[in-house]
Amino acid sequence: MVVDVSGAGATGTPLELDDQVLRAYLGGVGLGTWLLHRLAPPGVDPLAPEAPLAFVFSPLVGTPLTTSAKFAVLAKSPLTGMITDALASSQFAISGKLTGNDAIVVRGRADELSVVLVDASGARLEAAPELAGMPAAEAESAVRERFGRGWRTAAIGSAGERGVRYATISHDGRHAGRGGLGAVLGAKNIKAVLVKAGTRVDVADPAAVLAAAKSLRERSFGPATAKYRELGTLANLLAFNAVSTLPTRNFTAATFAEAPRLAAEELHEMRGVARNSCASCSIGCEHIYSRKGGGSQRMEYENVFALGPLCGVSDPDDVFAASARCDELGIDTISAGGTIAWAMECVERGLIDAPWLRFGDGPALLRALDLIGSRSDGLGELLSLGSRAAASVVGQGSIDFAPQVKGLELPGYEPRSLQSMALGLAVNARGADHNRSGAYEADLSGDLDRLTGGSAHVAAAIGTEDRAAVMDSMILCKFLRGVFTEPFDEWATLLRSVTGWDVTADELRAVARRIVLAKRVFNLREGATTDDDTLPRRMLDTPLELGSGRTATLTAERLRSMVEGYYTGRGLDVEGRPDPSDVADLLLTP
Amino acid sequence: MGVSSHSVAPDDGSAAGIVLAGGRSSRMGESKAALEWHGSTLLRRTTGLLARTVDGPVVVVRAPGQALPALPAGVETVDDPVEGRGPMQGIAIGLAALSDRARIAFVCSTDLPFLHPAYVRRVLSALDAEVDVVLPHAGGHRQPLAAAYRTALAPVVAGMVTHGQLKLAMLFDHCRVRRIDDAGLLADPRLRALDPELDSVLNVNEPDDYRVARARPAPEITVQRFGALASGGKRGPTVVEAATLGAAAAAVGLPLDRHVVAALNGDQITRDAEMPLVAGDTVAFLSADAGG
Repeated sequence: MVVDVSGAGATGTPLELDDQVLRAYLGGVGLGTWLLHRLAPPGVDPLAPEAPLAFVFSPLVGTPLTTSAKFAVLAKSPLTGMITDALASSQFAISGKLTGNDAIVVRGRADELSVVLVDASGARLEAAPELAGMPAAEAESAVRERFGRGWRTAAIGSAGERGVRYATISHDGRHAGRGGLGAVLGAKNIKAVLVKAGTRVDVADPAAVLAAAKSLRERSFGPATAKYRELGTLANLLAFNAVSTLPTRNFTAATFAEAPRLAAEELHEMRGVARNSCASCSIGCEHIYSRKGGGSQRMEYENVFALGPLCGVSDPDDVFAASARCDELGIDTISAGGTIAWAMECVERGLIDAPWLRFGDGPALLRALDLIGSRSDGLGELLSLGSRAAASVVGQGSIDFAPQVKGLELPGYEPRSLQSMALGLAVNARGADHNRSGAYEADLSGDLDRLTGGSAHVAAAIGTEDRAAVMDSMILCKFLRGVFTEPFDEWATLLRSVTGWDVTADELRAVARRIVLAKRVFNLREGATTDDDTLPRRMLDTPLELGSGRTATLTAERLRSMVEGYYTGRGLDVEGRPDPSDVADLLLTP
Repeated sequence: MGVSSHSVAPDDGSAAGIVLAGGRSSRMGESKAALEWHGSTLLRRTTGLLARTVDGPVVVVRAPGQALPALPAGVETVDDPVEGRGPMQGIAIGLAALSDRARIAFVCSTDLPFLHPAYVRRVLSALDAEVDVVLPHAGGHRQPLAAAYRTALAPVVAGMVTHGQLKLAMLFDHCRVRRIDDAGLLADPRLRALDPELDSVLNVNEPDDYRVARARPAPEITVQRFGALASGGKRGPTVVEAATLGAAAAAVGLPLDRHVVAALNGDQITRDAEMPLVAGDTVAFLSADAGG
């Protein structure tokens, strides 16, 4: 359904999707990419009313398959100017699917701050000025009071309302975090989208689905997910520190002497911890720590890395507080941490006049977050743009150490000591991203030399990108990926039993390539070039000292060679452009 | 005659390894390469040790038709086409195989079960532009088969072999040699700490040598476990005796399966159970799934 918001009303128009498109793109990130191609005017300003924002559901959501309660959100990113897609989880996904829609696309702009409600009967707009400035969690509570408990809500915080370029959309405390989707929704004067279940999900082979659900659930208790169950993603912190891949002080180092203070192992012993899980999930990766002085905070590796070592901050309470502040404002912790770390280095170098903003200063980190959230004149406004745009304002070579690719800030994986990941970060369509290109898997597998990128690393990066494309489109949580020994075969079996399609593993491999290509084609349409498939100059000019005493070096030539290998592997020309026959396979022509 | 550092060898700074496996093992009475060593073999240990130490390739020079035990991934084998010409021929073959890929090489025999990376690095680091060979005098003996050579020597050595000059001493008369005695070697603090008796050059020639060497306890290794692998109060470093990565994993009750990998001294990541370990090593066991 396409929901056009205008003035004080909204019109929901069905957009019929034929089976060929659904089968070609599955759902989630894949289908959302196709929808953006179809609905986003070329060259559109991401914050313009006509720019579409798509909530996309999936074939598997609503079934009893563990980790399937996820939804994708896609738009042209105000941070990168390219496609961005993010996943979030839980009941919003199930209820959204049960509105009877595979996707809900929002366009237009309301006259005043409003909410969009979608159920099986259609869409409507309700003014909600009372929600202005509220954190997303409070807004969710408020609309539940106002509209009833049957509605599930995806909302933005104040940063989304104010257009911070990396504002998030969240549901039940989980964020569709990357690329500024919250700013896109905020630009439409929409505080929240509410969905209410009104139909049911029918599957083609209920007995097979139940059997698959039982098997997957049992496997989800095995060793492949032990890390997530026992410590959560924060278990990465000490391990990454031990292998010199924990980005520290704006990527000037890859080990952080005070990492143990922030480690999951330490926090588990020192702080009370509770576990939680998304709807329909048997893993339960969320670990919620008590905070000094009361309250609790869910902590993940990426927010601790970005607001801790990356900014040189080691006090866990400062990091907890910063993470909570990001949640309240509704901003992406990775982009916030990366942008502030860049600013801290600018201050050190005398490029920004804010002497209070120093590496390692927790209160300064919180002050910077508040300035960003309010887009206060000067520094807050500058940093709300993200590190690439801010560097273009500051100049003086500061772009060389802005920790971003295509404008999206780097996640917590040091490219110089993870050189498959270096390629994955460079070429991914949404920018520096660890969820669409999990090439670090290859680097940390022991199967190749993580410090010397080459053709094996190219193949690994393509492989992980393909697998992510399918998982993010069916959708299953990638924390489940380790339980699959023959993933494409097993996924094809799942899809057959749910949809009735006679889909095969080879067909899914083609789907993966199609989704990756469709995203690239969208970016090409929006002006991307091969120059965008790179890493910050710092990564290519400055060797990284490892804890072992060796250095890791990633030169521009080596990265370029891997990028060219990636282009070849993807069937692209030297400019990263596809063959017209491959574009025809994308089914983009109306 | 010296070999210029600006000669045919690339000056890329890379160091390689050469293991001479083609000896007759006549005193041992069986192939030294295949001798059991803590669940692995002597050749597997020597080649694995060099592979984890040098940044260039490692090659094994073998006699015509010689069967070798399994080698680590990436280690190459080159054949010595003529048997019985001794180490000069092996060195010539090995240096030639590497001359376009590495500037210098550490050359050793198969039978050095206590060879330590700190020794290898100490010897290689002494091979600067002034010399072509670094020849240790350790344990009262000259150690030409635990020494460093410039790969550009390949044609020189080959020429001498062609002319029947098969004694290594003759080679050292024809190139620039830096000799290092025990004190010079142990001036390196890391080597002094990790191999104070210079056991690196202790070779095993006879069954009794092997028996005595094999009876020594395995080296002491520090093991760290992270994440879910450390649950149940297994946090913090633990010292175990282990000659291989597999033994270290077993000592702390971990399987080296697809869910577990190890980082050796915070550097390369592996799940190779036969990876040789030495005194002073730290092994970090990590969950192979690094998503987050």
